[in-house]
Parts: sequence; C-alpha cells; structure tokens
Amino acid sequence: MTPAQSKPFLGFGLGLRAEHYQDVLERKPKNIDWFEILSENYMIDGGKPLYFLDAIRADYPMVMHGVSMSLGSTDELDFNYLEQLKALIDRIEPCWFSDHLCWTGVDHKNMHDLLPLPYTEEAVIHVADRISRVQDFIGSQMLIENLSSYITYCEDVMPEWEFLSAVAERADCYLLLDVNNIYVSSFNHHYDPIDYLKGVPVDRVWQHHLAGHTNDGNLIIDTHDHDIIDPVWQLYAETARRFGPVSTMIERDGNIPELDAVLAELDQARRIAEPFYRS
Amino acid sequence: MSHLRDLQLRFQDYLVDGSEAIEADIVSTDNALAEHRLGTYYNAYRIRLIDALATDFSALQQYLGREAFENLILDYLHHYPSTRPSVRWVGRHLSDYLQQHYDSEDAEFLRELAQYEWAQASVFDAAASDQLVQLEYMAQVPVETWPELRFTFKPAIEWVDLYWNVPQIEQTCDRDEAMPDKQRAEFPQRWLLWRREFKTHWRSLEVHEAWALEQAFNGANFADICEGLLEWVDAEQVALTAAGFLKQWISDQLLTRLHDS
Repeated sequence: MTPAQSKPFLGFGLGLRAEHYQDVLERKPKNIDWFEILSENYMIDGGKPLYFLDAIRADYPMVMHGVSMSLGSTDELDFNYLEQLKALIDRIEPCWFSDHLCWTGVDHKNMHDLLPLPYTEEAVIHVADRISRVQDFIGSQMLIENLSSYITYCEDVMPEWEFLSAVAERADCYLLLDVNNIYVSSFNHHYDPIDYLKGVPVDRVWQHHLAGHTNDGNLIIDTHDHDIIDPVWQLYAETARRFGPVSTMIERDGNIPELDAVLAELDQARRIAEPFYRS
Repeated sequence: MSHLRDLQLRFQDYLVDGSEAIEADIVSTDNALAEHRLGTYYNAYRIRLIDALATDFSALQQYLGREAFENLILDYLHHYPSTRPSVRWVGRHLSDYLQQHYDSEDAEFLRELAQYEWAQASVFDAAASDQLVQLEYMAQVPVETWPELRFTFKPAIEWVDLYWNVPQIEQTCDRDEAMPDKQRAEFPQRWLLWRREFKTHWRSLEVHEAWALEQAFNGANFADICEGLLEWVDAEQVALTAAGFLKQWISDQLLTRLHDS
C-alpha cells in the first residue's frame, strides 16, 4: 500500500458495483481513474465476484472500503474479520483501506448499520486505541469516514468534526471525508457544514465520497439511490477549494443506473474540483 | 468503557426488540423527536436484512408473498440475530428456524425450499478450482490402480434431500412463470447442485448414484464403492456402473483429483 506521509491523489473514481462489471471490463473507460470496492463483498472463497474483481483490478488502481470493522464497538476487535481483510489486501494490493467511525453491533451481534458514537473523550480514547491496533495488525495506516447520522446523544461534549479530528490525531490515521454525509448530518442536526470543513485537519484528508440521498422532510437519509443534488455539489466545490487535490469517488448503491450516467456525474465532479486544484 | 457499553446495549436492544430505554439518551429537536430519529435506525435494520434475505431466498419470498415473508424474517431474526460481519451469512440458519420454530402445515415444504436456495447461494461463491479432472485422464489410469482410486471433489458442490418438488417450483419463480402445484413424494429425492465456471447446475440423483457420490466424497475408494453398489447392481455390472458414475462426475466437472493413496 501507499507509504505513510505522502498524500497521494488518485483522481476521480467510482464504487465498483456488480451491475457495471461487464461494461467496465469490455469498455475499460478511460475517465474512471480508480475504483473503490466494498471489502465485505469480496471476503468470500470464489465465484463470479472475485473473478471480476481480479480482472478489473488488472486495469485499474483500487482502494478498499469496509462497513463491518465496528471500530467503535465495546466488543473485542474481531480478528477473524481482520485476517480476512488482510488476505483481501494481500490479494488486490489496494492503495489504502478504510472503514467508518461507528459501531455496528455489540454482544457479538451485528446490526449491519453504521451506528454513531457519542462525541465524548471516553469514546475518542476507545475508538482511537482500536484504530491503532487495527493499523498495527494490518501493517499500514487506514482512513476513517464520517457518517450520515440521524441521532445525537445527550452526553455529547463536542461537535462531530472535533470528535473526528481528535480520533484521527490520536490514532494517527487519515480521513475519508464524505461530503454528502456532512450535508446530510448538518441538515439533520442543524449546523453549518462549512464549520465542519473548517474543523477538519487538511493534511489528514486523503479521500472524498460523493453520493445522493433521500429527504423525508424532517430528516435526510443517506440512501445512495439518487443523483447528487446541487447543494452537495456546492459543498464539494468548497471542499475542493479548502482541501486541494483529494481522491474523489461516487457511491451508488440503490436504483443503480447505467454506467454512463454515473460517469456523467463523475465528470461533473472533475469539472467542479479541477479549477481549484490549478489555483 | 462500561458506560459506553451500556449505551450501546440499550441502543441495540431498541433495534432488536424495540426496548425504549435508549430514548432518554437521544436529543430531540423541533423537527424530529428522538422517537422519530431512532425509528430511522429501527426501520433500516429490518428493511436491510429483509431485502438481503429476499435476494438469497427469492423463491421463498415469491411463494409466501412479501408481507408473509417479512413476518417470517422478522421472527427469524428474533431467534437468529446476525452475528457475522457480512450480511452474506445472515440466512444460514433459516431452514433450521423453519424446522424448529415455524408452526404451519407448510413448514416442511418451506424448510426444503430455504435449504435448496441456501445451497444455491453456497455454490455461487464457493472456492474456485483451478484444475479439474478431464475425461482423457480416465483412460490413462493403470488398470491395477483402479481398486484403490480415490476422489477429490471441488468445493462448489452441495446436495440436498427433498420430499417436495422444490427445484421445479424454484425454477418457475426464477423465470417468473406460473408456479406448479407443490407435490410431496413418498421418499426424499437427492438433488446435486454445483457451479461450473459461473453458472449453477443441478440434477437429481438415482439412489445408488447418490450413495456412491456420498461415499466417494467421504473418501471411499473405487473398490469400496463397487462393493456397496452390489445392493442395487449385479456383480458383473457393478464396475461398469461405478465407472459410469465416475465418467458422469468428470463430465460435470465435479472432480479436481483422482489418486490412489
């Protein structure tokens, strides 16, 4: 994987989805610079998903993104999971791997959701220690991603961006800053998303996510099943201005359109960000 | 740590059972009370897992209808909450659940349908096999080594014993055709499922081939299999019958190795 302390810029990528396997292999689109894979989808023994993964990896750089490390859980770390993750890392040699600043279950159960932590000193120490242990086990630094959230806890003592930054500093890890998630959570919890961007250390941000969502009127839900909306593009422009060249990709997990439609969104991301990279 | 753990246990109890103790920990705002905010997670937990299992058990969902399927899965999750990192494995106890907890005259049929669909999922992403035994190899095996010949099968193989005409029903669901009436046989039929390249295949086995395959899979040699087959086949036909099975298994690309030790 990429050595520590050099902030690489991979360009503009997509989340690899089964619906696009064949199209990607046949066309090898030049305007996709890299792919992000969902690690758990390939932590299997064989079959079609691994075949396509290996074939597409031969043509494109990849990063790995997980949803089940449960870094914030108070259960012990799942080293069986980490062994499988390490085996996949050895197989596809990603530029880096990431997971979320969340917990997914406790008492050996898995809720298969990204559940928020309370923003407390206790939680900073707890989750940063676990990230450090994961990094030691895997042998490289990882990226952690901010969530979309629908709740906050009464016991919170700091805003989310302070929590995220404190964890990253203490664990000495990098950040995957999801621009849509900042927008979603700022709407749900009534804060200014620009304050979030201002509160995050520039040097630690190595990747961005962009995605669509669903607005139920009172809350915005991070569904990844719609096109990216204008306010998120505007926030992405501010993100590009503030953070400079950061590897950016689009996530689409539901209502998945043809590859060309997602590529058009990716070109839009390029058009928005690149002018800031030249200035 | 214990404070954080208690908080997480209260949250998880809410997701699994609807226990309301967590509400006191959550901030309410004018536009969204704590109950509404938590409900987003409560609903997402259910929808996510029901949708995942509807993919793994699409015929079961089609047979039952969406509402009955949802109710079935919610009760299943109550008995068998997910314990693995990947949602891929959430459905692995569904046929056990249907056997032990589902009180319906349909229970045996539903259990077999779940068992069959889970076997399909299992062969779909089982380990690949780089080397497969080819038919030409049979002719090269020295005659004197045949009795000691043993067999290694590839991982992408499952078999299930079914009283009901589940494979026919599953296939009509897959093709979105009208479902045939379900029928129960007097004796169970063994069905073999395997993956050939990326396509799942299946066929029924006669009782003596089913027996021979299971013996071969468990390490019996060619002589042992011939001896056992005498229960169904005359002595003068038994070697030919066993060799015929072997030829069929090789044609089906089930074997990765023939060896005499």
